[in-house]
Amino acid sequence: MRQTLPLFLFFLVIFAIAFAIPGVSAYDGVSGLGTEEQESSIMIAGYQVSPEVLMRNDIGTVTVTVKNMESAKSVNIKDARMLSRDIKVLCDSYFNIGRLGPGESLNLTFTIKAICPDGIYYMKILVAGEDAQNIRYSIPVTVDSSSLTIGVKDIPEDIFKGERARIELAVGNPRQNTATAVKIATEEPEVIPSEVFIGTLSPDETKVASFNFTPQTRGVHILNFELEFKNGDNYHSTDLSVPLNVTESKKSAELILTGIEVESMPAAMNVYKITGDINNAGLKEAKSVVMKVSDAEGIEAMHPYKAYFVGLLSPDDFSSFELNVKVCENETQVPLVIEYKDEDGNMFSKTEYISIERHQGTTSSGELPVSMIVVLIVIAIAVIGLIAYSWKKR
Amino acid sequence: MLEVLTNPNRFFEARMKGEESLRIPVFIVLISGIIGSISAFLSSSIMMEAMTKTLPPEAQGFMSFMPIGTAIGAVIASFIIWLIIAAIFFGISSIFKGEGKFKRTLEFVGYGYIPTIIGGLISAVLVYNFVTTVQIPTITDPTKIKEIITPLMKSPMMLLSSAIGMLFMLWSANIWVFGLKHARNLSTKNALITVAIPVAAYILFSVYQMVVM
Repeated sequence: MRQTLPLFLFFLVIFAIAFAIPGVSAYDGVSGLGTEEQESSIMIAGYQVSPEVLMRNDIGTVTVTVKNMESAKSVNIKDARMLSRDIKVLCDSYFNIGRLGPGESLNLTFTIKAICPDGIYYMKILVAGEDAQNIRYSIPVTVDSSSLTIGVKDIPEDIFKGERARIELAVGNPRQNTATAVKIATEEPEVIPSEVFIGTLSPDETKVASFNFTPQTRGVHILNFELEFKNGDNYHSTDLSVPLNVTESKKSAELILTGIEVESMPAAMNVYKITGDINNAGLKEAKSVVMKVSDAEGIEAMHPYKAYFVGLLSPDDFSSFELNVKVCENETQVPLVIEYKDEDGNMFSKTEYISIERHQGTTSSGELPVSMIVVLIVIAIAVIGLIAYSWKKR
Repeated sequence: MLEVLTNPNRFFEARMKGEESLRIPVFIVLISGIIGSISAFLSSSIMMEAMTKTLPPEAQGFMSFMPIGTAIGAVIASFIIWLIIAAIFFGISSIFKGEGKFKRTLEFVGYGYIPTIIGGLISAVLVYNFVTTVQIPTITDPTKIKEIITPLMKSPMMLLSSAIGMLFMLWSANIWVFGLKHARNLSTKNALITVAIPVAAYILFSVYQMVVM
């Protein structure tokens, strides 16, 4: 019994030691039991790839969390390397990282660039510690170059010149991760707004952006939109071209001028009174009709009718107007601007050119009628004749 | 009476045989003044219409009397001018040793107003035509009165009216030459000089106003 007790205690101690030493990392299954008693245990507690899914040529980061699993012993981490054949690691490896206290963890971030085709790639992280196991761990990195999609959701069947058309564009995210800073921009001058900011777009989510297009000319218009978004810190863009055929509205108001008369004003030099009728030959009402003389060189609108407010002009209706304008000697045409609004408040503008004829009724100065000069000459001759006659008779 | 227009020399020669009488000349000057007052009434109407908004409301009622006042003033002025012209002619003719009473000079100068009646009628028609067709701007800033009224007064129609007035003034001057020749017993040359000096001064001033001002 005295001989068996020490032997029993020896096995008890061995057994207790075997249970007291924690198991080595699951990633180092090849270490023997004798080694486990001497080397500390560290492990990869987690990792994070940002953005979650890279697009080709995107730059991202992989953050690895290394944790000291010892409960009472610190571990000196010597180096940490990230290796991959397909994905380029842009930063250097970590050397002499330092000691990691018991239970403490450390984040190590590596910058990567996805220079490879789409697919799933496993990057190797190697962590070496002093008196600790070397860790090898594979981190899956997904590369998917699928871009956000943009398409026309809704557009009017017919688009008419001068009328506002609403264009709705749908933006979808077919990617596995969230896209940020999503916006649609256009440089088309006839499209407002020029930019719609959508913001964040989750996977498989769709958002709609509306634009108003008011064409000023007929024919085919190609509207170019650019969809921009960020995947992580990487900007990407997609273009969308929307061809539209703009035609003349068949039902809109159609304002035409008739009975135009240009009359020289006797009150001042080169001032003319333009009168006439403005008719609505269209099928819709023209509202807030205003006629004015356009700003042009040598043309100046004059009081009292610098502009003429006609107001509402119903279809097949007409109104008289009067404008006063000063025209320089070398100008032969006066541009008249007709402005009106449709029932939606869209402003329309039309310019008509009125010829100024300095005809027989006026002299070279453009003002004094020839008939008046004749009267003056006749009176002068009569007076001179009478004076001469009186002197002859004396 | 028409002889004064066609042969003033013989007309005044005959009148010299009678007594001085201002009855007919006063009537002539009155008619001339009334016709002149029509043009003055129309012209002042334009100015009043343009300037109405420059005045406070209480003064605008007073302004409505302006055209009538101008017309009455024109009639009175025609008599005053008659006297002034006669006095000037009387004074200048004294330099040429002219003889005769002032009353005779005044009488004969009055006959010289007959052409101004015809001229006044033509001018009144022209001014009326101008006033009824002109677009009168409304003046809201009193500092711009001259800026706006001047183009109106210098419009071709108004200038034509002034030109016709000057032509008839020449005709009157012709009558005055023969009138003074007999009223002041002057040679034709001296009578011509006597009349030419003030008339030329008046015409030059009128042309200056038309062209420069």
